[in-house]
Formats: sequence, C-alpha cells, structure tokens
Amino acid sequence: MSTGVSTAGGPPLTPTGQPPALRRSIGAVTATATSAGLAFAAINFLGIVSIGTYAAGASSWLAILVGGGIALVVAGVFSELNSMWPTAAGVRLYVAGAFGVRFALIATFTYMSTVILVIAADAFLIGAAIQHMLGEPPVLAYLWILVLLALATVLNLRGVRLAGRVQSIVTYTVLASTVVVSIAALVHPGMAFTAPFALFGAGPLSGFQAIAFGLFLFAAFEWVTTTAEEARTPKVITRGLFIAPALIWLTATMFSLGLDHLVPKNAAHGSPYPQLLLGQAALGRLGEIWMLAVTVLTAINTFNGGFLVASRFVYAAARENNLPRPFARLNLRAVPWLSVLVLAAASAVVGALVFATGQWLLLVAVGAALEAAVFAIASAALLKLRRRDTPPRGFRLRAAPVLAGGGTVLFAGLAMASGLSDPQDPTRFSPVPALVVIALGVVSTAYVVWVVPRLQRAAAARRVAARATGEPTRRRPPRPPATEPTTTAPDPSGPAATG
Amino acid sequence: MATWEELQEALADYTVSCNTNERLRKMQRDWTRVLHFVCSDTGVQFGMDVRAGEIVSTQAGHVGVPDIVVTTDSETFCDMFWGDLNPMPRYLRGEIQVRGSQEDIMRIDAISYVIWPDV
Repeated sequence: MSTGVSTAGGPPLTPTGQPPALRRSIGAVTATATSAGLAFAAINFLGIVSIGTYAAGASSWLAILVGGGIALVVAGVFSELNSMWPTAAGVRLYVAGAFGVRFALIATFTYMSTVILVIAADAFLIGAAIQHMLGEPPVLAYLWILVLLALATVLNLRGVRLAGRVQSIVTYTVLASTVVVSIAALVHPGMAFTAPFALFGAGPLSGFQAIAFGLFLFAAFEWVTTTAEEARTPKVITRGLFIAPALIWLTATMFSLGLDHLVPKNAAHGSPYPQLLLGQAALGRLGEIWMLAVTVLTAINTFNGGFLVASRFVYAAARENNLPRPFARLNLRAVPWLSVLVLAAASAVVGALVFATGQWLLLVAVGAALEAAVFAIASAALLKLRRRDTPPRGFRLRAAPVLAGGGTVLFAGLAMASGLSDPQDPTRFSPVPALVVIALGVVSTAYVVWVVPRLQRAAAARRVAARATGEPTRRRPPRPPATEPTTTAPDPSGPAATG
Repeated sequence: MATWEELQEALADYTVSCNTNERLRKMQRDWTRVLHFVCSDTGVQFGMDVRAGEIVSTQAGHVGVPDIVVTTDSETFCDMFWGDLNPMPRYLRGEIQVRGSQEDIMRIDAISYVIWPDV
C-alpha cells in the first residue's frame, strides 16, 4: 500500500494532511502514566513529610493544592514549548532558542544532575525501607542501595526496557495503592485535624517554603515531553501534562491527610520511610508490606526512566563533542555502556553520602530548588520565544505575560525559598541546599566554558588529521557540473560544514 | 536540493555499508523496523525495510505502516547516507525531525556512528 502521491518520472511526493500513523505510538493514558510515573518517586513521600515540617498543624493539604495549581501553569508553559519543538531534545531547543546554545548546555547539564540525585535518593530510600522491614542492622541499608543500583545497571546494559503498558500499570498501581492505604488511615481512629489553614504558622516564610516543597512533588512530570516523538498526536502530550498533576495532587493530598491523622509529625520527620509508618499505622504488618511493595514499584519507574533519559542525554552530548567521545561508545545491545556505568557510580556515591550523613531531607530541598529554577528558566524562555520567529504552535498558553511572566518571578522565589530552607528546623534558614545548587551550576558552567571548546577543537583536529592521510574529505561523489544547482548548493568544504 | 537519483545512489551505498558491517549487524540483530523518510524541501518520500538489522529493501514512496518517520532536507539525507554527516547535532538543533521511540531514534544515529565513528 503506497501512501504517496504519484508523479510522472519520479518518486511519490508527500501527500498533504496528517502525518502517517506510527505502528507503535503512545496515547493519552500512557502519556499521563509516564508523566505521573516520572514525578511520583519514593522521594515524594519525603517531600510530603518536608511540607508537613513547614506547614503548621494539618495544613499540608493547602501547600499541595497551591503547588498543584502552580504545576498547571508549568504544564501550560511546557505544552506550548513542546508544541513548537515536539522532540526529546526539546529542553535544549527551547532554552537555546531563547538564551543561546551555551546557556542551554549549562542549564541541561545542571538539570541532568537532578536525575542522579533522584536515582540516588530512591536507591537510598528503598534500601533503608528494605533494611527496616527485614530488621537488619542499619549499615546493611547501603548494601541494599548497591544491590538495587547494580540491578538497575545490569538491566540497562542488557537493553531491558519497560514497555509503555507495563509502565502504565506500575504507575497506576502505585498511585491507587497509596490512595487506598491513605483512605484506610483516614477511616482509622486517630488524631484530629488541627489548624488546617495554618500554612504560615511555623515560621516567617514557612508557608512559602511549604509551597516550594509542594511544587517539588510534581518535579519531572514535564519530562513526558521527551516522548513527544512517539505520541499519537501532539495533543496527547498536552493532555498528559495537565492530567498527571491532578493524579499526583490527589495521591499526595490523601497521603498527607493520612499522615496528619495517624503518624505524629516528629516520627515521620525522623524517618526515611514515612510511607511504611503510615501503612503500619493504618493496616498493621499488611499495610507495611503493601507500602514497601509500592516503594519498590516507584523505583522501577525511576530507574527505568532516569537511567534511560540521562544515559541517552550523555550519549547525545558525546556525539556532539560536548562530552568526551568514550561516552558515546555502544555495547552490542546499542546501549551507551560508559554513560550507564558513570551514572550508576555517581548515584552510588551520592547515595553513600546521604547514607553516611543521614541528610536525606537535604536531597528534597536541593531537588526542589533545582526544579523550581528549571521552571523559572522555561517560563522565561516561553516569554522570550513569543517575540521570536519560531515554528508554529499547536498550543498557546492563555495570559502568557501574566502566567509565564509571573511564573518566572514566582519560580525563582520558590527556588530561593527551598534553597535557603533548613531541612531539620522550619524556624531557621540554611544556605546548604542553595550552595549545592550553586556548586552544580558552577561546575556545569566551568565545564561548558573551558572543557567543551577543547573537545570541539580536538574533534576538528581529528578531522584535519583524517584529511592529511589523503583520504577524500567527503565520500559523497561531487555533482557533475551540468547538474550543479545554481542556488542552495551545499558547502563542499568538508564534514565540518555539514556536521 | 538533491535529486532522487542522488538519493538512490546514497541509499545504495548506505545499504552496502550497513549490511557488510559485522559489528553493526550484531548490534542490530533484534532491530526490525519500517522506516519512512520525507524530504522537507522537495517533498520526495521513500522507505526502508530493516529486518534483524539487515536492510532488505529501499523503495520510492511509503509502503506499510512505519515504525519511524524521518524528515529533513534532501541534502542532509544524502550526506547522512554517504556518511559525510553526523546526524546527532542536526537532530539536537531540530533540523532533522524524527517520529518514533527514543530507542529507535538512538539506533538510527548509532548506525552512522558505528560505520563512520570519525565523522
């Protein structure tokens, strides 16, 4: 069956209308599951506990509600950006289009560091939960972290991927289970909901910080844009971006209410597995095991999505000569093996640091600051791109000057609020989370400014050296003079001009 | 703009380069896909059938339901199939558009990388 338009003496031309459907494409259900699954990691349970630290009384639900409302603005921003460039390389393109290629590289390198943080955090949290359930000495938690990371690494190196349907089932199981256990907690006799509107009752800026952590619960939901190229239609991604925050909001709110009802704040705050405490309080040993299973399931999404996105990003950067070439080396399963190994090693080191220091809530604060900063950059990029000549948009954010403009300021403020939060004490400020974010930004900037140009020069030198061997600079045969086009001719000066 | 004849010549060379590269064949042994290509400048479209990593046919027009659709200008296609162009930077700049899974997109680039690692 040919779908082309026949032309005499030549190949068929593209018919007008809709692009051809792909054999395998994702619909709104899978896109929503992907978005929610990327966002709802084990670290979210700690995020909810962090909200409870800053939101006085039983007002966490309010911070989550406001965070969810803000996430919808983010959904609008990314929907419009994605409609211009529906590609896995989207973030690079949006930011480069608005602020230049160099800043885009710095931003994406910093952004990708959040993947390592989340993978390390999930490995630590699951390791700690398993160690707790098995009643083992605490030191064995790190052994579990290594086992989990090793397992994820081996599966990635062997090219094992979760099918979209399996990923959807895992995500909806995690969300539904968390809601069911939370409902079981709510119907259980427990504490009264005191001061449900005291959002700013724990400190001068505590409510603002609680909202910053509320927004963190939705972090990474926008990564669904990296699957835009396999979406059935562009609207599928937009739907996923708007529906997923609602599912996360519902789940997080129920869990938060359940915690407020059954688990004392100090007990939840001092534990790396508050979800097990809630399960135990609501349904006894069965609830504890159930929530352990939920925690392990969240890791499937985190490890599958995180390793995949980050290792392929590293591969692409190496192919572009922005990272050393060995990072692009592939094994016989077409997996960039060095990227996967370095990612796993970096996660193991971060996991070890968290394990040794017990500062797991610091990861939440750093993640919240980084994500809010990314949202600020994306909103600013949207505003700038509104004034530029860009590809047509299938989605336009209404009242963009207000929402994206206000969002830029708000997200920058939330980044500072979480960056200056003291994870241990809501009445105090600490520069540590902000310093970690700044350090990541400085390292990325230094790398892009000093190392990337050297890598680019080395790549150019290799091409010159190849020419010096006498081999032709291009394999493609030159056009006969008679057929040389008079316009739009390519520059025949060599690979540098074409690559 | 490249003519259809130039594209055919490039495709023929690409087919030989892919099918005779043992490492690539081993790497792509589980890769069976229908690829559709669209030249954004000339409107020319063509297809490629890959079975177990072997390019079994290339043809004018689009046949069957695609797993992957690649769109760019005809010159870029020619340079890519001749191995004169690293497709990844073009893709990252949005100059090559691909519809398909992330895995398949990487596989297409990996083909060029394995055959012509120095480009």
